[in-house]
Amino acid sequence: MAGLSITSVTKRFGDTEVLKGVTLDVGDAEFVSLVGPSGCGKSTLLRIIAGLEDVTSGDVSIGGRSVTGTRAADRDLSMVFQSYALYPHLTVGENIAVPLRMRSLSPLQRLPLLGGFMPGSREKRIEINSAVREAADMLEIGALLDRKPGQLSGGQRQRVALGRALVRDPAAFLLDEPLSNLDAKLRVQTRAEIAQLHRRLNTTFIYVTHDQVEAMTMSDRIAVMMDGEILQCAAPDIIYEDPNDIRVAEFIGSPKINILPSEIQAGTLSLFGKPIAKPSLQTQPGLFQLGLRPEALRLTAKDPILSGRVAHVENLGSELFAQIALEGEPIRVTLRASPSDRHHLKLQAQVGLTFTLEDALIFDANGKRHRRAEVFAPRSVEVA
Amino acid sequence: MGVVEIDPSVTPARERNRQARTAWGLTAPALALMFLILLVPVVIAALLSFTNYSLGNSGFEWVGTKNYDRLFTRSTYEKMFIATFTYVVTVVPISVALGLGAALLVNALGRIGDIYKTIYFLPVMATLLAMAIVWEFMLHPTIGMVNQTFELACGTVLERIPFFANGCAEGFPLWLGDRDYAIWVICFIGIWQGFGFNMVLYLAGLTSVHRELYHAAEMDGAKSAWERFRLVTWPALGPTTVFVVTISCIRAFQVFDTVEAFWPQGGGPNKSTYVMMFAIFEKGVQQNLIGIGSAITMLFLIFVMFLTLIQRWLVERKVHY
Repeated sequence: MAGLSITSVTKRFGDTEVLKGVTLDVGDAEFVSLVGPSGCGKSTLLRIIAGLEDVTSGDVSIGGRSVTGTRAADRDLSMVFQSYALYPHLTVGENIAVPLRMRSLSPLQRLPLLGGFMPGSREKRIEINSAVREAADMLEIGALLDRKPGQLSGGQRQRVALGRALVRDPAAFLLDEPLSNLDAKLRVQTRAEIAQLHRRLNTTFIYVTHDQVEAMTMSDRIAVMMDGEILQCAAPDIIYEDPNDIRVAEFIGSPKINILPSEIQAGTLSLFGKPIAKPSLQTQPGLFQLGLRPEALRLTAKDPILSGRVAHVENLGSELFAQIALEGEPIRVTLRASPSDRHHLKLQAQVGLTFTLEDALIFDANGKRHRRAEVFAPRSVEVA
Repeated sequence: MGVVEIDPSVTPARERNRQARTAWGLTAPALALMFLILLVPVVIAALLSFTNYSLGNSGFEWVGTKNYDRLFTRSTYEKMFIATFTYVVTVVPISVALGLGAALLVNALGRIGDIYKTIYFLPVMATLLAMAIVWEFMLHPTIGMVNQTFELACGTVLERIPFFANGCAEGFPLWLGDRDYAIWVICFIGIWQGFGFNMVLYLAGLTSVHRELYHAAEMDGAKSAWERFRLVTWPALGPTTVFVVTISCIRAFQVFDTVEAFWPQGGGPNKSTYVMMFAIFEKGVQQNLIGIGSAITMLFLIFVMFLTLIQRWLVERKVHY
């Protein structure tokens, strides 16, 4: 168990800069997710932490000790690969035993047949077997120990890969999209199991995923990466409710946040040329972007801020998502509604929408966030 | 909306019969060819091996197992077995090991590896008969390149090695004319010619090794190249190895052209390179002793069949993950 810190790490492949000075501190026993679209450098960062990739510049340290020049095998980390990377010729039990065999048995003791007769080998082998059994029981794969990976289902292989990682007691676990090859149902189940495993082992987890739901549901903190940078690293609720950057707001949240172009002129914020509020202005006038989560929008019959026609409805049972094509604008906004509003949301029905400015996120033209507190004084909406 | 009309005469049993007839009809040409070209000759050879038939004779006599008795009693055939097995036992392991080694090195090289790949594969593409003539020149006892090169070592430190000491004092080996060296020369040429082919097979096998497995091995604490080879590469090459060994064995049993090129008249000094294929050729073709030639052929067939069965068994049981 140990904390981890990454300081201004850059990585180049030829002319392409994949990581542009990434700094991240991970506390002891913390579960941190690296999340971002494909190609954002999250896997590269994980492989740099693992030691499978060298840094171009910067430093990685584990438990306060710099490991930048240390090879992967000496970093005391365990990794679960996206493809699971199980040794196909070894049984499940042998696969899980590999990290222990490699580390606690000498090369002579590892010899096939003869190795068993080397002094001290018997005791160590018994120890390894009991550790393997314990790990297998924890993951409920005790009955599969004699099978080969080729005879297992995807979910079972994934558990074996986890077992191989946790059979040792490493400084930290690195997981590279371990759920991406599972079907949707199994993914939900395994998600909960990994989170429980983290609580039980109380060890540092670094989890790479492109799936924001995985990141939101499992992590203590989420680091949202894009274009080789960490845009924001914070607890899931902060990332969702209080993003620093429009890219973070757009990446996290499903359905996606609605972004509406707006303008602040002479102290008045207007949307599509329609003044809607007078924020206490501490910012330069100009173009802004208004971010509205689907749940921030409400249906209203009188004095709507936005109006349009229902273009598409997705009924998820417990909630409804409706896409509203705004009148006179080539923009669709997504609205979350409760099932009781279903009768209002017939296709092509005319609806009016309103929102509280408190729930809106304001970003400048460059996508940087302008905090509510700075910009807005009024609590309720003034409809002009 | 239509009603599906069911023809009452088409019962499931009839339908099955019809399909079976079509299936047999379609496989018939292939089956006929297989019988004519492959099985019939084997059966004829098997029958002839119990006769004293010669080509051109109007009749023949059944001689029972006399031909086979001869194979296991005459000293010529003892030499044949010794030469053949010496060749197989030497060439197969060395050419497989060299092929694997070369493949691993070439694979590690990247772009420059292609040059080595071509160089190592050249002997495979060359006609062995033509190459044999080149080797014959190089191995000539007096004017050959090999012995002349060795002579350069005379008077240097190298003379401390017994081989050079002997060579400088009494002359270097006659190679192709020396019954102690002849079979090893044939083995050497066999290895030189064959390992490039094994290398290509292994290179193909190496492409199927999942790269992430090496990373997993590194994370699991396999620090040396040998440990990674043992944990990842060698097991992954299992199916390739079985195939390469089988192919190499069959090719080694079939060695003929070098022997024929070096010693057209009879299998090397003191019959020390009298390999099976050459024996078949000599008995069956040159001396027109079809009976004994067929008997050797049958034995050859049994060896190859045996190897193939072992390969099938290994592939299905041991190395298929």
